[in-house]
Amino acid sequence: MMRQMLAFLSGSAGCIVFALAIIVWLHVFLMAEEHVPIFICLVTVVGLGVAANMLKVTDAVRTSLAEHERLWNLCALAVPLALIWLFREDHYNLFLIGAIMVYAVAVLGLNVQLGYAGVINFSCASFFGIGAYTSTMLMTGAGLPPLAALLLGGVMAALVGCILIFPVLRTSGHYAALVTMAFALLFKVFMDVNDFFGGPQGITVPPMTLFGIDFSHNMLFGDTELSFYLRYDLLCLLLLGLAFCFVRRLERSWIGLSMDAVRSDDTASACFGINISRWKITAFVVGNCLSGLAGALYAMMQAYISPANFTFSDSLLFLSILLLGGIGNMWGVILATVFVVLIPEKFQVIQEFRYLIYSGLVLLMIIFSPKGLLPRQPRSYS
Amino acid sequence: MAARHILWRRVLCLALFAAFFYAAGDAEAKTALRVGYIGPLTGGNSSIGLGARNAAELAVFERNEDSGATYNYELFSLDDECKPDAGIKVATKMASDKKILGAVAHYCSAVALGTVDVYHRYGMPVIVYGAVSPGITYGNNYPEILRIIGTLINQNKVASEFMLSQGYKRFAIIHDTTDYGKDHKDYFTKFIKEQGGEILEPMFGVTSDQQDFTTELTKIKSMNPEVIYFSGLTPLGVRIRSQMEKLGIDAQFEGVSGIKSDAFIAGLGPDLAEGCLSFLEGSPVEKLAGGEAFLRSYQARDFKNLPDTMAPFAYVAMRQFLDVIEKVGPDRKKITEALYKIKNADTLIGKVSYDDHGQNSEPYVSKYVAQDGQWVVWEDSEYASGKRSLKKPGAGK
Repeated sequence: MMRQMLAFLSGSAGCIVFALAIIVWLHVFLMAEEHVPIFICLVTVVGLGVAANMLKVTDAVRTSLAEHERLWNLCALAVPLALIWLFREDHYNLFLIGAIMVYAVAVLGLNVQLGYAGVINFSCASFFGIGAYTSTMLMTGAGLPPLAALLLGGVMAALVGCILIFPVLRTSGHYAALVTMAFALLFKVFMDVNDFFGGPQGITVPPMTLFGIDFSHNMLFGDTELSFYLRYDLLCLLLLGLAFCFVRRLERSWIGLSMDAVRSDDTASACFGINISRWKITAFVVGNCLSGLAGALYAMMQAYISPANFTFSDSLLFLSILLLGGIGNMWGVILATVFVVLIPEKFQVIQEFRYLIYSGLVLLMIIFSPKGLLPRQPRSYS
Repeated sequence: MAARHILWRRVLCLALFAAFFYAAGDAEAKTALRVGYIGPLTGGNSSIGLGARNAAELAVFERNEDSGATYNYELFSLDDECKPDAGIKVATKMASDKKILGAVAHYCSAVALGTVDVYHRYGMPVIVYGAVSPGITYGNNYPEILRIIGTLINQNKVASEFMLSQGYKRFAIIHDTTDYGKDHKDYFTKFIKEQGGEILEPMFGVTSDQQDFTTELTKIKSMNPEVIYFSGLTPLGVRIRSQMEKLGIDAQFEGVSGIKSDAFIAGLGPDLAEGCLSFLEGSPVEKLAGGEAFLRSYQARDFKNLPDTMAPFAYVAMRQFLDVIEKVGPDRKKITEALYKIKNADTLIGKVSYDDHGQNSEPYVSKYVAQDGQWVVWEDSEYASGKRSLKKPGAGK
C-alpha cells in the first residue's frame, strides 16, 4: 500500500495534493486567533514534515517536481490565487499575503547574490529601502506615475549597488561582509538625518494607480466589497511570478552555470576563462534590482515608510529567510518567507514573549535542519 | 511494519485535528464586546508599553466585575514594537476587524503618525495615550483620532514660562534629530523668543545613538549659556549631563519629558542628577485624586510590570471607551461621536475635554526637579522653598 501511495504521489497527483494541503493549512493558520489552534497548526506542519521525511514522501514529491515542473509552476500560481480569493474581504490577511510575496521577491534577489554567485550581502534591507524611498520621492516630488516610479525604484537600487560593488570586489570573505554591513548602517543614518526624505519620522507614500484605477479604494464585486489589498496582492503575485521565472531562467542558463562556478571555486573558474568580477557584479546588480522593486511595491502597499523599516536587523531577517529556506533553492525561499512573516504575527497572542519563543523556534530549526528546509539539489544536466 | 502503521495513525490523527479546527474556525462566536490596546510590548520602550497595557486591562477587569455593566468586555492587545511598519501591520489587523470597537494606542509618535491613516480608513476610534507629536491630532481632520495626553506644545509653553520666571535669559540648545526632539526644540525656542529670552545659535542636532558630545559641548562652553536645554530621551540625556560635568560647564541642565525617568537618575547618580529639570504631562500617580486607589488596585492584580508614567493615561482612556460603549452601544460611529462630547470630565489625570481635533485641551503639565536621587514635583521641592537653589542666572558672565 505504501509503495502505491508513493508512486501516486510521485506522479502529477502529488503536486495537486501538495498544493491543496498548503491552501488548507495556510487558510487555517491565517484564520487561527487563539493559542490552541495556532499551536496545533504549527505542530501539524512540523509533524507532517517529519513524517513525510521518514516515509520518503519528500523523495516522491521531489520526483514529481522534476517530472511535472510545468504543473508545479501552475499550482504555485494557483495557491496564492486561491488564498487571495478565500480572503477577498479580509484586509489584514490579504496584507500579510502581499507582504509574504514582496519579501519573497527581495529574498530571491538575495538568492541570486549569495546562492548563485556567492556575493555576501548584509544590506538587502537597505536596497529594499532605496527602492521604497526612490519610488516615494519620484511620486511625491517629481509627480511620476506610480508604475514608472516602481520600476525606477528597482533601477536606483541597481545603480547604488553598482557603486557599492567596488569595495565589495576589492575585499573578500569577512571583509566583504563588513563592507555591506557598514553600508546598511550608513543608509539608516543617512535617512535619519535627511529631512528631505522625511527624517526618522518617516514619510507617507501615495498609493499605486494603474490604468486609472486607484489601488487604495475597495472595489465592489456583485454584492461583496473586496478589500483594496486584493489588487495589491495580484500585483505582488505578478511581480513574484516574473521574478521567479527570471531567476529560474538565469539559474538554468550559462550565466547561472558561470555564477555557480564562481561561487564554488574562483581560482578554478578563473583558470577556465570565466571572468569572476563580471559575474559577481551581474549577480549583485540583478539581486539589488529585485530587492529595490520589492521595496517600492511594499512602500506603496504599506502607504508609510520610515528608516526604522530598513535597518541592519531587517537585512539579517532577509538573510535568515534565505538560510532557513535553503541557500539557492527558490521553492525553499518562498516556503521560508511564509513562515518568517507569519509566525511572529501569529505569536502576537503570546504578547511580550513572542520574540523569545520565535527565536527559540529558529534555534531549533538551525540545530535540526542546518541546511534549511529545502536544501538545493545538485544541478541536473539531463 | 508495525511502526509505520502507528506513524500513519498519528498522521491521520493530526490531519483530523486540522480538519476539526478548520471547521471550528468559522463557527467561533463570542458574546463579549472587544476593545483593543496597541503599544510597545517588546523592545526598548516595552516597560512603558507593558505598564499601559496592564492599566488598560485593569480598566476592563474592573468593568467586567461591575454588576451594573450592560456588556462583557474583552481586551485584545497587540505589539507595535515602536516601529512604524510593525505598527501599521497591527493597526490594520485591529481596525479591519469589525468586532473590535475601538482602541487605546501608541506611545511612540513615529508609529502613531504612520497609523492614523489606517484607523481613519477603517473608521475605528482610537485614543492615543502616550505619543505627543502635535501632528497626530492637528496634522489631519480624522474624527477617529483622539488624544488624551497633551501635545509637546503645552509642555514647552509651561517650561519656557517657568524658566524665564526663574530669571534665566540665555539658552543653548541640544536636540536629537527625531521629530520628538525637533518639535520640542521648535516650540521651546518659539516660546522663549516670544517672551524675550535669548536662544544662542547655533543649535546642535545630534542623532539618537551618538556617544560623544565633546565637540558640541566645547562650543557651547564658549557661548557661555545660563541654561543647556536638551530635547531627547534618557540615554542621550545621561551622556550629555555627565560630559557637561567633565568639561566643567556650569550651566543649569533642563530636559523634556523624555528624561523624566528613574533610569536618568540611576545612570548619573544622585550627585550629578541633582538640580536637573524636567517637565511632564500629568501629575505623579500618588498625587492624583484617586491615584492611591488606582495604584492599590493595580498592585492587587498581580501584574508583573510596574505601572509606568503612561499607565494612568491608558487607564483613563480605556475607561472612557467603556463608559461610552455602555451609553451608545457597540457602534464605532456612535462611539466616536460620543467621545467628542466628553467635556470637562473629572478623571484620574485631571480635567479632560476633547476639542474639535480630538485633542484633550486641558492637559496639566508638572515641573520636576531631581533632588536627592528622586524626581520631585517643583512645588514640593526644597528648591521652591528656597532651601536649595538652581544654578544662578548670570553667574557665568
